[in-house]
Amino acid sequence: MTLSRMTQNMMSRQSFAGMQTAMDRVAKSQEQLTTGRLINRPSDDPTGATTAMRLRSSLSSQQQYVRNADDAVGWLDQTDTTLGTMGSQITRAHDIALEGANTGAMGPDALAALATEVEQIRAGMISSANARYLDRPLFGGITTGTAAYDANGDVLDPAALGTGTGVVRTIADGQRIRIDVEGPEVFEGADGVSVFTHLADLSAALKSGSTTAISSAIGKLKDDGDRVVNMRSEIGARTVRVENARSVADDASLTLTNALSSVENVDLAKATVDLSLREVAYKAALGATARVLQPSLLDFLR
Amino acid sequence: MAGAFSSINTALSALRYQQSALDIASTNIANASTDGYVRRRVVGETVGAAAAPAVWSRSNEIGSGVQSSGVQRMVDPLLDARVRREHGRQTYLDTKAAAMSRVETGINEPSTTGVAKAIDTFRSSLDDLNNAPNSDAARSQVLANANGVADAFNTQSRNLQDEMGDQRARVVATVQEINTVAQQLADTNRSISASSGGGSDTATLMDTRDQLALRLSELTGATATPQADGTMDITLGGASLVSGRDAATLEVSAGIAADGTADGSPVAFSLTQPDGSVDDPVVPSGGRLAASVELIDHVLPDYAADLDALVEQFTKAFNDAHALGFDATGAQGGEFFHSSDPDDLAGSLRVVVTDRSKIAVSSIGTTPPAAPVPNNDTGNAAKLADSITIQDGYQRLVNGFGSDVASIQRLAANQSTMTTQVDAAREQQTGVSLDEESVNMLMAQRSYEAAARVMTTVDEMLDTLINRTGLVGR
Repeated sequence: MTLSRMTQNMMSRQSFAGMQTAMDRVAKSQEQLTTGRLINRPSDDPTGATTAMRLRSSLSSQQQYVRNADDAVGWLDQTDTTLGTMGSQITRAHDIALEGANTGAMGPDALAALATEVEQIRAGMISSANARYLDRPLFGGITTGTAAYDANGDVLDPAALGTGTGVVRTIADGQRIRIDVEGPEVFEGADGVSVFTHLADLSAALKSGSTTAISSAIGKLKDDGDRVVNMRSEIGARTVRVENARSVADDASLTLTNALSSVENVDLAKATVDLSLREVAYKAALGATARVLQPSLLDFLR
Repeated sequence: MAGAFSSINTALSALRYQQSALDIASTNIANASTDGYVRRRVVGETVGAAAAPAVWSRSNEIGSGVQSSGVQRMVDPLLDARVRREHGRQTYLDTKAAAMSRVETGINEPSTTGVAKAIDTFRSSLDDLNNAPNSDAARSQVLANANGVADAFNTQSRNLQDEMGDQRARVVATVQEINTVAQQLADTNRSISASSGGGSDTATLMDTRDQLALRLSELTGATATPQADGTMDITLGGASLVSGRDAATLEVSAGIAADGTADGSPVAFSLTQPDGSVDDPVVPSGGRLAASVELIDHVLPDYAADLDALVEQFTKAFNDAHALGFDATGAQGGEFFHSSDPDDLAGSLRVVVTDRSKIAVSSIGTTPPAAPVPNNDTGNAAKLADSITIQDGYQRLVNGFGSDVASIQRLAANQSTMTTQVDAAREQQTGVSLDEESVNMLMAQRSYEAAARVMTTVDEMLDTLINRTGLVGR
């Protein structure tokens, strides 16, 4: 721009525009520093804003997967512990049955005592089968009731079993895992007779002293114990799967948080240096204005 | 042969001329920072022999002094036209950029409180409900977060509606201002033609005229054509807004109802001429009016329509998934989200379900007439969560709008450089330089002193001639 004339107004305006520009830059730096964010609105960086939104959305999903997995692990651990107790109870009943099978060495009183212990084991087993996690019976499928079995060892809500999806947790994108075990799966054999019935049978056999009945109970209890052990290893496998998914989701959360931070957050050192530089520029503009606007020819005319 | 007093007259003319030069300098200094003031210069011319001598007459005059041939306004009409054009563009871009930035702030993304976050939270709460279908807290949470989604959409829609309402009010106010300014310009035109006919100085009226024309360009992007008699005509979108002493009346002919609400059609204008004829439609080519119309007719409704499309997609997918499920009592799921206003789906989005047990996360249930059986199945929870697929679309929408805002801001910044440049060029021409005026004052003062000295000199000469000549021997 070639200037043939310069007027005081032009200089004032130019100084003012310069100061405004410098101050605008200072304000921009200040906004970034005070909010701690590079992108305060989509137009600051449209692509970055989209990336940030995408990352936030993924981050939210991954954090939810971690919560879901935590819940699943809690449920699975509870199931495992319960089945562990029940397994040892079955072993104990099996041992009692073996002891009772030795009818020649035992009198009717001793057998009756064994029978009482078996009944207690049975009651304990039924109570364990009603174990709950967050108010839901572990072995009751999708029942809304508070227990899976009644005192007789019968399923309370058969309609809640073997239907629907059971109890599932989403542990990764599109990955849903079933975490519950329905009572009959583990407590009933292929014939549909439950371990509780077997225990009742054993108790009756001990009372009657029938060797055949006791021997038959021994075989059945062996199968019952095996099913529980098998189910525990199955639960263990599911737990491993859930825990793997959890650590993947955890890692993903961390990576996504880092990525989000690098897209969205201010590099403090850089922003501070920028602010200082811009402040210097602003001060220079102020200084120039103060010096430029003062003199005029009138100062030099007598 | 010049008379003895000729030089006194010459000196007198110099005194008069220098005095007027001093007057002009002081006027310039006084108005150094007056808006729209154009610096003046007194134009002097030598008074000489008669330009058209009579037959046989002969003049041997050397010069008879100086006279002021008029006061010149230091303007360049072409530059003024350029200034008006650039200012019209600048106002257009500034208005658009300011409104779009406001809307963008209302969108509030990326943030922890916007629509995107509300949707994420809603999705997460569905997972939580899947984890604990028997928990009333989890169910309440889903309802609360669903309302959060609806609120977030409502807020965004309300921002858009508010901005549209503001722009409509702005159009109405702008039209009023245009009519006032146009009438003022017509009045100024009348004064100019009357004054110049009477030989009076019209410089101040011209300043006013230029300022009014600039204002009209800023408001409408109208083009101004200076006429030979000093008046200025304004043409708006091919129709005459101001012609000499007459101003037409601009009216909103469609798009804005009397109470300031939208009437459903695009905004249109008509011009009623003083003779009663009507130009309809008149399309403003730039300035604030065109920016507001563009915002009302395109930018804001386009965004609102895209938002509504997303809401429709979201509502339909979620409701469909919800209808496939069964609620806590085992009854079939009903409508979950509903928009009551088909023209503003985002603004009227509500959660229909108010009873937390009515959230249909179970995939097992009974359809009437059999009595429903409650269960804790969550087969439908995942389907509900998976039905929420508008995140991508929403990100695209926000990204698109953000890009538009960034682009309009860039354009406005570029235009600002251009506008500043032509403003500077005009100021170069018309601005008062105090240094220059000081020099002018100095020159006028010195010339005045010199002319006075001329008078003294002539006076002394005459004194010599009259009082000291022919006194030999007295």
